[in-house]
Amino acid sequence: MRKILVLLSMSVVWCAVSAQNTFVLSGKITDEKNKELPGAAIVVSPGEKGVVSDARGNYRIDGITEGKYQVRVSFIGYRELTDSVQVSSNSTFNCKLKFVPLNLQEVVVTDNYAETRKKEETLNVEVVNDDFLRQNAGGSLMKSLERLPGVSTIDIGSGHSKPVIRGLGFNRVVVVENGVKHEGQQWGADHGLEIDQYSVDNVEVIKGPASLMFGSDAVGGVIDIKQNHLPVDHSINGEVNLVGKTNNNLLGTSVEVAGRKDWFFARLQATVLDYGDYKVPADSVDIYSYRVPLYKNHLRNTAGYERNWHLSFGIVKPRFQSRFFVSNISSKSGFFANAHGLEPRNVDTELHDKSNRDILYPFQQVDHFKVVNKNWWKYGKTSFTADLGFQRNFRQEKSYYTSHGYMPPVFPDTMSFAADLEREFDKYVYTGTLKASLEQNTQTTYTAGISSEYQENRIDGRGFIIPAFQQFTLGGFLVAKHSFSEKSLLQFGLRFDYGTIKTEAYYDWFSSPTENGSSYLQRAQDLDRSFSNVSWSAGYSYSPEHWLLKVNVGKSFRMPIAKELAANGVNYHHFSYEVGNPDLSAEVSYQLDGGVEYHSQKLAVGITPFLNYFPNYIYLNPTSEHDRLYGNGNQVYIYQQSEVFRLGGELHAHYQLLKSLQVGIMGEYVYSEQLSGEKKGFTLPFSPPASAIVNLKYRKEKFLFFQHAYTSVDYRLTAAQNNIVPPEETTDAYQTVNLGMGGEVKIRQQNLKLSLQVQNLFNTRYFNHTSYYRLINLPESGRNFILNVSIPFSGEIK
Amino acid sequence: MKTQSKILLLLMLAITAFACSETDDKDDQKPVISMSGTEVFPNNCDTLYFGEAFTFRIHFSDNQELGSFSIAMHNNFDHHSHSTEVTECVFGPVKTPVNAFTFIEDYPIPEGTKEYEVNMSVEIPLGEGTIPFDEGDYHFFISLTDKAGWSTQKGLSIKILHR
Repeated sequence: MRKILVLLSMSVVWCAVSAQNTFVLSGKITDEKNKELPGAAIVVSPGEKGVVSDARGNYRIDGITEGKYQVRVSFIGYRELTDSVQVSSNSTFNCKLKFVPLNLQEVVVTDNYAETRKKEETLNVEVVNDDFLRQNAGGSLMKSLERLPGVSTIDIGSGHSKPVIRGLGFNRVVVVENGVKHEGQQWGADHGLEIDQYSVDNVEVIKGPASLMFGSDAVGGVIDIKQNHLPVDHSINGEVNLVGKTNNNLLGTSVEVAGRKDWFFARLQATVLDYGDYKVPADSVDIYSYRVPLYKNHLRNTAGYERNWHLSFGIVKPRFQSRFFVSNISSKSGFFANAHGLEPRNVDTELHDKSNRDILYPFQQVDHFKVVNKNWWKYGKTSFTADLGFQRNFRQEKSYYTSHGYMPPVFPDTMSFAADLEREFDKYVYTGTLKASLEQNTQTTYTAGISSEYQENRIDGRGFIIPAFQQFTLGGFLVAKHSFSEKSLLQFGLRFDYGTIKTEAYYDWFSSPTENGSSYLQRAQDLDRSFSNVSWSAGYSYSPEHWLLKVNVGKSFRMPIAKELAANGVNYHHFSYEVGNPDLSAEVSYQLDGGVEYHSQKLAVGITPFLNYFPNYIYLNPTSEHDRLYGNGNQVYIYQQSEVFRLGGELHAHYQLLKSLQVGIMGEYVYSEQLSGEKKGFTLPFSPPASAIVNLKYRKEKFLFFQHAYTSVDYRLTAAQNNIVPPEETTDAYQTVNLGMGGEVKIRQQNLKLSLQVQNLFNTRYFNHTSYYRLINLPESGRNFILNVSIPFSGEIK
Repeated sequence: MKTQSKILLLLMLAITAFACSETDDKDDQKPVISMSGTEVFPNNCDTLYFGEAFTFRIHFSDNQELGSFSIAMHNNFDHHSHSTEVTECVFGPVKTPVNAFTFIEDYPIPEGTKEYEVNMSVEIPLGEGTIPFDEGDYHFFISLTDKAGWSTQKGLSIKILHR
């Protein structure tokens, strides 16, 4: 009751104030060359009245009472201007903004953006920008994102990793770059994600079923990568990034130059990384009870390099935009020589230990070329987007020829492939998405679209795991968003997908002794399958002042992949003979997601739980059988489907202890259980254990000669994983401490951004349950100092 | 402040819920290949002979139920060694195979078996047609599964020679 009275009296006061004589403050915002600046923000205080300048740079603020005001004018790419104005009649205040060489990236993606994105998405979403990536930079993009609650990785050595969202990975997570689904060899445990983390400026992680917008595979979630930056008009700017790491002696640089003149912009970036064998806090490792001594703690032959380039250019007009992104990611990295993959092997230690920077057998070499054309145009209330993409993923795994099973002891010189080519995958992908969004009114938006993808996959080499195949998918969707108010949003969507997959027959290149003589075994059949699915999603988000509440329910799906349908070969990484199942149905997942967030000036707390059910999860089941002929005496693993139930969630809490000191905790947990099939009662493979990060972050605007200085301590606690499924090993709990610090330094007119990290400060020896090398007891990286220096620069284009 | 303490309470509850775990009776143990005991044959570094049969003797066990096993013999003329044994054997010189011997066979284990004593005769032929097999360093590889799909491998270094 008292509150209402207060409110009432306040409104009376407000009325009284409004009744006073008021004036207009107006003016024009230009740059130093008198060029009009549309879109500049002008705020007067007290009163905090703000407007944005119009197309001619003019602005007008009504209802200003007599008095002295402070005027703040800001515009991206220009130095903010603050001045005071005495208002006693209608007044004019013009100003010229000064162009500043600043790093745009910070401005485009701010926390505010993240907040907005969270409110308009009924699924749980994490948004990070390149500052986050710089401050938390790991060996690869996914390793850097691992700090986010609900995100984990499957790591292959120090430079490659695969995304895992809430325990689901491989083909159950979609990675999208600039609107086009990234297609590599997602199915392989030792195949990392081919994305250059230095070229990324904004990443959104959608946790939950997102087939509605992204089609097949988006069962676990989506990593949506964007390169949104647009250089300021008539400017040229860029950045030189230098990075060094002590653990694997990595040295790298990434250089970016971008410019824009009127409606045309272009950007060029090149990244070079070169690293040596990484070090673990161990003198030896036990591979299947076979002890391998390590030379100076180095994991033999895990060195590698990356060479990437990106070119983007395009047209930016108020009602039409067309952008091209052309990139090539190229890497070569060694596999741990004593276990290729996990099979213990003696190696020529003298050869390998001579240098810790050389890449010898066995190694992998990957080349990913991508062209994306993104178009946007607006016509009345409707906007259209058309995203077109072409990708080629070329991957080779090379090792000394080893005769496995019935392969000839000596490699015949009559083969079409080289003796050292163990596997080759060559993938061509064509993608197209068309979308139309109609803003019916301020409250309701409809989006309709179709998307399609065609894949051509070829194979080569002496080992056979998956056949060559062609894959085609076509989907259409409709999404409606309705806001009842600024705070409450309802979203509903429906999608239909159709897909086909055709695998090609494959015969061994060597003969095997069969019952009646010997023959070239046929490993894969000509297979032609088609799938269709209806997916849907419905969600509601409500955001009263300090709260954000969300609920979403959705159905997602995934087409079986070629490996699941038609694998038929020995994976010597696991002593497993992997057999596809041509009768698999499309995997379906139902998920209920919730989210509750509270944030006040000092406290932010959030919890995002989920419940998930698969009626037919596709799973590579290790059976109790062995196979002589096709499996060379190895254990038979067959793809099967079972009911799976999962639950889990993330929580985070941040509290501002002092003005400059923040304490935070983030945790994640997933529980999975198979409800039917041969592994009833067991979990799913690669289930991440519960984990939490306790963080202390100290920020100061100015510290010594640093600006925006920060220091942060991460205490990471990971529980033991005792809930396992064959052929996994249980993994002990561990704790590690990471440090981070950095800031900006100004040397004359030049800004430098510095960030230093110390990962695994105490050089703790621990195992990561979801590491590719876990099965052979390889500990994780030891202490690692990571230094990143970025030097932004800019200039003008006349 | 009231809201904040409620939230903290909720947080604590959530953490407690996260910390829960459960127990059930699913098989969580690998089968065991027992290499100890004098009756086991072959042992690491033992010698077999072409044109003769040897008796493969080993003991398998599992906490619930055994599955199947396989044995494989292939040459180790390049010393690629995936021996799982600690004992190092004396190897012959590295050489290129001409007509190396390969043996792979899989065997079932009767259903419901927890302990299984293998005692079987395995014949090693003299050669392929008229060409004798290469003698020298070989690997003797044993793989064992249980019903749940857990597996255990043993790799032995042996020699197969012509008598």
